[in-house]
Amino acid sequence: MLAFLIKRVAQAMLVMFVISLVSFAIQDGLGDPLQELVGLSVSMEERQQIREELGLNDPLVVQYARFAGKALRGDLGVSYFYGEPTVEVILNHLPATLELVIGASLIIFFLSVPIGVYAAIKPRALLSRFFMGVSIVGISIPVFLTAIVLIQLFSIGVTVTVFPEDTGWGHWLNEALSTNGGMPSYGRGDALVPLFGTWESGFFSQRGLLHLILPSISLASIMLPLFIRLIRAEMLEVLQSDYIRFAQAKGLAPRRIHFLHALKNTMLPVITVGGVQVGTMVAYTILTETVFQWPGVGLMFLEAITRSDIPLIVAYLMVVGLIFVITNTVVDLIYGLVNPTVNLTGKKA
Amino acid sequence: MALLEVNNLDVRFAVRGGDLKALRGISFSLDKGERLGLVGESGAGKSVAAFAILNLIARPGYIAGGEVLFDGRNLATMKPRELRDIRGHRIAMIFQDPMMTLNPVISIGTQMVETLQAHRRISTADARAIAIDNLRKVQIPSPEKRLDQYPHELSGGMRQRVIIAIALLLEPEIIIADEPTTALDVTIQAEIMALLLELCEQEQVALMLITHDLGVVAQVTQRMLVMYSGRIIEQGPTRDIIHHPRHPYTQGLIKALPQVGEPGTRLYQIPGSMPSLNRVPPGCPFNPRCPFVMERCLETMPDYVRSGAVDVACYEVEDRLAAGKAILEVGQ
Amino acid sequence: MTAVTLSRWQRLRQSDLWHSFVRDKVAMLSLLVFVLMVCAALLAPLLAPTNPYDLAQINIMNSELPPMGSAGSDPAFPLGTDAQGRDMLSTILYGTRVSLLIGFGAVVLQSVLGILFGLLAGYFGGRVDAILMRIADVQLSFSTLMVAIIVGAVFKASFGNLMFGDIAVYLLIFIIGVAEWPQIARTVRASVLAEKKKEYVDAARVMGFGARRIMFRHILPNTLSPILVIGTVQIANAIISEAALSFLGLGMPETQPSLGSLIKSGFDYIQSGSWWITLIPGVVLVVLVLVINLLGDWLRDVMNPRLYKG
Repeated sequence: MLAFLIKRVAQAMLVMFVISLVSFAIQDGLGDPLQELVGLSVSMEERQQIREELGLNDPLVVQYARFAGKALRGDLGVSYFYGEPTVEVILNHLPATLELVIGASLIIFFLSVPIGVYAAIKPRALLSRFFMGVSIVGISIPVFLTAIVLIQLFSIGVTVTVFPEDTGWGHWLNEALSTNGGMPSYGRGDALVPLFGTWESGFFSQRGLLHLILPSISLASIMLPLFIRLIRAEMLEVLQSDYIRFAQAKGLAPRRIHFLHALKNTMLPVITVGGVQVGTMVAYTILTETVFQWPGVGLMFLEAITRSDIPLIVAYLMVVGLIFVITNTVVDLIYGLVNPTVNLTGKKA
Repeated sequence: MALLEVNNLDVRFAVRGGDLKALRGISFSLDKGERLGLVGESGAGKSVAAFAILNLIARPGYIAGGEVLFDGRNLATMKPRELRDIRGHRIAMIFQDPMMTLNPVISIGTQMVETLQAHRRISTADARAIAIDNLRKVQIPSPEKRLDQYPHELSGGMRQRVIIAIALLLEPEIIIADEPTTALDVTIQAEIMALLLELCEQEQVALMLITHDLGVVAQVTQRMLVMYSGRIIEQGPTRDIIHHPRHPYTQGLIKALPQVGEPGTRLYQIPGSMPSLNRVPPGCPFNPRCPFVMERCLETMPDYVRSGAVDVACYEVEDRLAAGKAILEVGQ
Repeated sequence: MTAVTLSRWQRLRQSDLWHSFVRDKVAMLSLLVFVLMVCAALLAPLLAPTNPYDLAQINIMNSELPPMGSAGSDPAFPLGTDAQGRDMLSTILYGTRVSLLIGFGAVVLQSVLGILFGLLAGYFGGRVDAILMRIADVQLSFSTLMVAIIVGAVFKASFGNLMFGDIAVYLLIFIIGVAEWPQIARTVRASVLAEKKKEYVDAARVMGFGARRIMFRHILPNTLSPILVIGTVQIANAIISEAALSFLGLGMPETQPSLGSLIKSGFDYIQSGSWWITLIPGVVLVVLVLVINLLGDWLRDVMNPRLYKG
């Protein structure tokens, strides 16, 4: 266990080192702290002097060491726009993003597992084919488009008048195809409940939850079909294996065979892929938050790009990198705990 | 009445461009406590026959006709619920590759306990006690410890012992063993086979042993079936068939056995190879390789004829019997 | 010459690929739609009623006209107009052209990178393999879209808006191509590892062929079918990535819009009821990506290649 942890942490640190190099390169290449500190009226000599004082003339290695040392102490500079430490800015925005990710993950988990399993157990059933058809359409729709369509349908509302209103069926069809709208599509609402620190949660009030619905569905929309297809494919493969046949030959009930013997083996690769997908999910929060003006780190990052707020961009990279590294490590750990054939003790099996 | 009676069993695989006939009207029976051998090359349909008995043919395969009578009831048409009562309980099965047979992520104990609990109302503690007893029976050292281990922690031989223990858990009447030692090291093969036979004898279990190893069949079984291209071509008392094989294919098989005590002699080989399922010729499936092939063999499949206690499907044998001639021998 | 092509054509007619293709109606329909869209995009300058890049042809008075069938529509603009008064049909034709160009370009680039690195990693193994695959792992765990967004943001910040807009097509091909190479590299590497074990590679080595010749002449042709399958799906992914980047303002400028930037520019008007500016290009984008995905699915089913898993 310890050896496994040490190995994983060493790997994680290597990855963080690479990310910090990239971040430093961006900061060094794009950020000009002088411009922010001083006006245009300052003379060349004065500029040179300030550069010297700030250490901008030091060798790159020294500058990187300073950058990394500060980063380790949690100091990633001050945002040009907010005028606050970037880490604080990010921490203020993080809860909104986390709630969005949690909401989407819940949707993905509770829908993908039953649908994927069903489609694998009954591959020829009409419903399975329907799910698989919908899922391939699903992965073909970009997240932001799903979000826009959801806003049009459930926030703005659609009034259909293409069928003749004066006939009974026409009226009924128009009614059936029209939607009311009214779902919130902007921000998190004003009914947030303070949890701790800067975390104000939308999970504990009706209005807060209402605001979460459309963004969570949008964020889930790209990953859900991927997971359904993955779970189905893995499960179909597992169902072909000898140990499933042996379980049948033992006279076990189908329920136990499917949900214990097959599902446990199916979920192992799914866990690994799920860990990798966390990264994708964070990337998609940028899109989702942009459409819904959701005040999370994704929107903050995009605004930082348009405002050329270099310190904030760099800090975002570092924090997101850290989140990836931590989730990947945790996922590996979980995988090791679930899969008995992975040896966490470090001994040779 | 026989314990198990298979009548005209047909199994097909539905593939693109029509059905492949994997089993073509096979019939045989198995008595209480009997040891029956089923031999043939790989692809002859031995494993399909084993799975078909338990009605465990996986898609795209299906049972197209015939019946499997066990205790007077037809397993081929039985409801899944009732089938489950018989599988693992009254007819148990041992698979070929012990490395693949046990579920890698479920502990040995759970895989044993669940088998008992699927068929009996029994507490987990009691089930574990029975499991330990059975592990002891198959001579696994410190069985208490094994229950909490996972398959990958055991060697192949140990795993096959566990699988035998699982098969014996509910004191079945029949054990179907599909090449139970093929995947094991040669040194362990004899050990496992001896253990299996001893336990079957001790517990009065009928054994259907599927193998391509004629030597094992000759040693341990009372009756044997020879399969070729999904058909039984010869069946009868093992002794009889080994010493006086009737069918040209069986003769070839026996001739191909290395003769102990005659080192240096060239091994005999039946010319050609068994056709795959989609290339089975019309008539007798063995006709392209048969030294006695004649017109009829190319057209219709021969019926069984009786020669002593042996049933054979071969026109040449039929003719010789009718003419009162001696049983044929393969020419050199 | 004709004899050769004829026999090739006949060979194709007799192959399994062709057989299953004719049998699979979804695949045929998908290919038909895809070919139509590619043709429409290629012929955009001929087909489009107006040139959306030409400011002289745009009349701001025509802005936000709804498409045919709605009240207030103008027959001159069958799909309506956008906020600047550009004909939607024309902008969509030109936009599809840009999206397809970037999609294909990015896949060509990532295939070159992926095949090269995949071959190197798989053939040489050891340290080369470890370093390349570690980079691929890190990049994939960061997600390709994330990498693309970051690289896009850096380019935007360093080039400035105007210059970025001018060379956006090339930049996007570069960004997406570089962000996505690990997918193909892993697949190629997996195939190479499988092929390497086979006898013909040993034979080639024994005959004294150099590593480069063995890799490109002997191993590569045998890894083509997984590359084809992955590559097809990657075109769809690249088009989606481009649309996402454009939607975030890191892609094509509005003056030479792709489908993604059309959706973005329409999104600002959706609250005022002008749904068509964003939804019609959206539907075109989805159909384009969907047919490519369906073709990819079909190829995967038919060729059943070894794909990298996990």
